[in-house]
Amino acid sequence: MSTRALAVVSAGLGKPSTTRMLADRLADAAADALREAGEQVETVTVDLRDHARALADATVTGFPTGDLRAALEAVAAADGLVAVTPVFNASYSGLFKMFFDVLEQGVLEGVPVALGATGGTGRHSLAIDYAMRPLFAYLRANAMPTGVYAASEDWGGAGGDAALTERAARLGRELAAAIAGRAPARPADPFDEPVVPFEDLLAGR
Amino acid sequence: MSGMQFGIFSVGDVTPDPTTGRTPTEHERIKAMVAIARKAEEAGLDVFATGEHHNKPFVPSSPTTMLGHIAARTERLVLSTATTLITTNDPVKIAEDFAMLQHLADGRVDLMLGRGNTGPVYPWFGKDIRDGIPLAVENYQLLHRLWREDVVDWEGRFRTPLQSFTSTPRPMDGVPPFVWHGSIRSPEIAEQAAYYGDGFFANNIFWPKEHFQRLIGLYRRRFEHYGHGTAEQAIVGLGGQVFMRANSQDAIREFRPYFDNAPVYGGGPSLEEFMAETPLTVGSPAQVIERTLKFRDHFGDYQRQLFLVDHAGLPLETVLEQIEILGEEVVPVLRREFAIGRPANVPDAPTHASLLAARREKDTTEVAR
Repeated sequence: MSTRALAVVSAGLGKPSTTRMLADRLADAAADALREAGEQVETVTVDLRDHARALADATVTGFPTGDLRAALEAVAAADGLVAVTPVFNASYSGLFKMFFDVLEQGVLEGVPVALGATGGTGRHSLAIDYAMRPLFAYLRANAMPTGVYAASEDWGGAGGDAALTERAARLGRELAAAIAGRAPARPADPFDEPVVPFEDLLAGR
Repeated sequence: MSGMQFGIFSVGDVTPDPTTGRTPTEHERIKAMVAIARKAEEAGLDVFATGEHHNKPFVPSSPTTMLGHIAARTERLVLSTATTLITTNDPVKIAEDFAMLQHLADGRVDLMLGRGNTGPVYPWFGKDIRDGIPLAVENYQLLHRLWREDVVDWEGRFRTPLQSFTSTPRPMDGVPPFVWHGSIRSPEIAEQAAYYGDGFFANNIFWPKEHFQRLIGLYRRRFEHYGHGTAEQAIVGLGGQVFMRANSQDAIREFRPYFDNAPVYGGGPSLEEFMAETPLTVGSPAQVIERTLKFRDHFGDYQRQLFLVDHAGLPLETVLEQIEILGEEVVPVLRREFAIGRPANVPDAPTHASLLAARREKDTTEVAR
């Protein structure tokens, strides 16, 4: 049995935010499934709204400051990631994209990721597949096959909630299985030895 | 001169003064850089280093021309670069230009190599920015040989082969100019500096210290790994960025419009946030002293400290005042304080004289054997 770190990134803006609510559901579903498999789970949740100014600063200066730095390090050190955004103008929000733009290159390689999105109507549900998946494919993350989209009717309507719970549970199981199938995360530090020895650099390797 | 070296490094930007709206001409800016270098010597500083840029809004495209002129108008100042582009310049021309400068300046020359970070510049010189690291590696390998071997046969990926080539003039006294490798983030460059036993200059002025602790730590460990001495004996240089007035509130009031409008800072964090996260110090000379002395706690005893003082549209008179304050109130205290507790086995900043002495000692030892 080992302890697995689960990072949750929510780009929700309101309080309460349905984006954060969906993120929590997905994280809980994954944590439940991991515990069933005999793993311990530690969850770190990052609300991007708290880092909005720091994200803009980091885009300009090239370095993250204070709490944002801690949030980025938590994501880099995670065994799995839950990433949820509201759909704005047919795509993920600008704030959501900024976080992944500032994140150090390569840290999500092979990391299992559960994708979720929220919106006013179900007509935007494909944003997960045409907008979020290409982003995480570029980052070489391992996005789970199920994506969970939650519209207004999922939170209120009769029977809607049960269907959402079921979809969240399925995605949670997928994420848990992918996490359990990997060695615990140990982020590579480019400033640790062994670096590429200089003879190899000279030889063009 | 012994112990640490202190100096000025200039990027040579032409930026409008936000308080007057006036932009200096290229001619004025070039002459201002010369005045700044001469003031650095007059104020008792040790080093002046110029950037190399081939795009607006920067003027110093031809560093050895400028440094040759400054060499003729100074007596003592070490002339250097920050940085010389090892990627887009022909290493043969770097070898010859800097050897020529070294003779003209009677050995008061070293240089800092860098890759340059401006994408469009590479194709103007027939290169590709994606080859940045391989270019730095191959070009420096050639430069290193050209200064140490009288006749060179050479073949590589990036330039035409050389057969029976002798780079002229030969380095003065057979001692090549000391080389610093400058880097902001690449572990490969720290590795390169360590491999050759050259200096490593971490330009730490725009980013938090934690990053540079890791980068310099890597260089020091690898310097030891390659057998050039202990990690503590590795040759480290650091940047700094200051604006001073007797009263710190006056310094902040005067510098703020320059910070808020400068192309490198504007639109981002506030002056106060930037000061908290990076070495930028706007305040009294005492605050600059305190902040700079902390560098030793973070990075270990080091050899060279360069300050950026002449950017963001600051008028020349103001820059000259800043250099005076550095020379009168800051650097003397730094020299004294940094000397306290500095282990005897930590080397002084390398100079032509120290490199020549080291080579003679080595030759004598070899003859004795």
